[in-house]
Amino acid sequence: MYRVDYFAGVINTLVMIFVNIAIWKAIYEADDNLGGVQLKVVMTYIALAFLMQCIFVMEDYFIESKVTSGLISSDLLKPISFRAYVFSYNVGSSVFRVLMQLLPTLVISIFLFKLLPPFSTEMGILFFFSAVLGYLVLYCLNFIVWMSSFWFYYTFSLVTIKDALVMVLSGALIPLWFLPQWLFNFVKLTPFESIFFTPISIYLGQVPAADIKTAIIKQVAWIVVLALAGHLLWNAAKHKLVLQGG
Amino acid sequence: MEHKKFSKLELLKLSLKYSKLNLKCTLEYKFDRFFTTLAVFVREMVSIAVMYLILTRVISIKGWQMNEMFFLYSFLFLSYCIFIFLFTGIRDFDNMVYTGELDRYLIRPLGLLYQVISARVDYCATIGHGAVGVILFLSTYNSVGIDWNFRNIVYYILALLGGVIIQTSLFMVSSCFSFWAVRTTNLRNLIFFNSRRFAGYPISFYPGIVQKMLIFAVPFAFVSYFPSEYFLHKPDLSVFWHGCLYLTPVVGIIMFTLVYIFWRLGLKSYSSSGNSMY
Repeated sequence: MYRVDYFAGVINTLVMIFVNIAIWKAIYEADDNLGGVQLKVVMTYIALAFLMQCIFVMEDYFIESKVTSGLISSDLLKPISFRAYVFSYNVGSSVFRVLMQLLPTLVISIFLFKLLPPFSTEMGILFFFSAVLGYLVLYCLNFIVWMSSFWFYYTFSLVTIKDALVMVLSGALIPLWFLPQWLFNFVKLTPFESIFFTPISIYLGQVPAADIKTAIIKQVAWIVVLALAGHLLWNAAKHKLVLQGG
Repeated sequence: MEHKKFSKLELLKLSLKYSKLNLKCTLEYKFDRFFTTLAVFVREMVSIAVMYLILTRVISIKGWQMNEMFFLYSFLFLSYCIFIFLFTGIRDFDNMVYTGELDRYLIRPLGLLYQVISARVDYCATIGHGAVGVILFLSTYNSVGIDWNFRNIVYYILALLGGVIIQTSLFMVSSCFSFWAVRTTNLRNLIFFNSRRFAGYPISFYPGIVQKMLIFAVPFAFVSYFPSEYFLHKPDLSVFWHGCLYLTPVVGIIMFTLVYIFWRLGLKSYSSSGNSMY
């Protein structure tokens, strides 16, 4: 049963990369230098975005199920911070995905889609660093949404709408440089850009060397802001918690 | 297994009663259901938004313009909406077997398929998907140059219904396997929703092997691509056999017949999952 889940994850990612690359190939048939970006760059962008997505999966209903079932009461009694527990749970499963899903998918896609290597070794290292920060930005954003389960009990709709926004605005499905200028300017003011777009642009060498520092500082700033908001929500939630039996 | 004691009218009345019950269940939590519907709508709009953003930039892909692509996409949403409205039970069939709910239906003096189909309606998914489909259709039906005469309207309805039956059959294939106690939800989602992703764009965008798969194996090409080509006549149609344009209902009926035979076969070898949760 779980083996099917595992293969489904690998095949899903490959199919998504394949579909999107086919569409971009069709787009580039008419114009082989769209907005000064080559097809190869876009293909690598798309592949990287989906590879990152297969690790950036988090347990969206973990806190909700703890709250609705009342199990959270026994978790709060344990001598470990509940937030640290949720965080390590998610990071742990992401590390598992790196080994079991990302590596096989990566190897297959390098052969299948002929990915470009990082712009330079330095950019490759910075990409890795920035991707970790992107993961943290997404985690902090998610944590805020998860916290809402203390007030709403069922968070399916909020989680789904959050996912939709992240998909469109963070550059997970479309390179943000293809967005209309006004929307791109707007996205730059949001944390979404920091999740997928910043690391991948660094990998591809699309960010001028001088601006990389700013981009990474921006990511860190978003982590701090979102984590702070999550912290405040958590404090409010602790007092709000009402358990039915447990 | 057949129970012919009930007249068509009585069965219809019973289905109406069932759908009334379902509606009551749904409206029990109005606030939550409203947001669930909204969430389904927003989730499905993601692919539309991406298509919109790409096409505002590049105007057309392989000669397909935005309104034509949206018209094609509307077939997928409208037929899925009708499918969910009528056959939610088939989508959830695996789960009915898994939880033992099916055993309840088996001891009742009514046809099994009838009960499975009429017992459930997922209104949130129906309206969520339906809204996307209706928006896409209304914003394009006038601008893609279709003369909505009697013949075209009849074709449109038949093609849409054909698309519904094709998707129903695809879901029923996977429910067949659950008779032999295999949990297939993951595999089904993989095959169904990935193929659906392909079918959102004209199949001429893809390499030959994917085109063949979408025609012969998981025939989503007949749900969206060929029906919209019937109206639009894009040059990329020339690669395919012209008769495909008219085959959607035929493919649907053939698939459904085969799947139904397979389904009856599966039912014969069904043994309960053990203990019923109900």
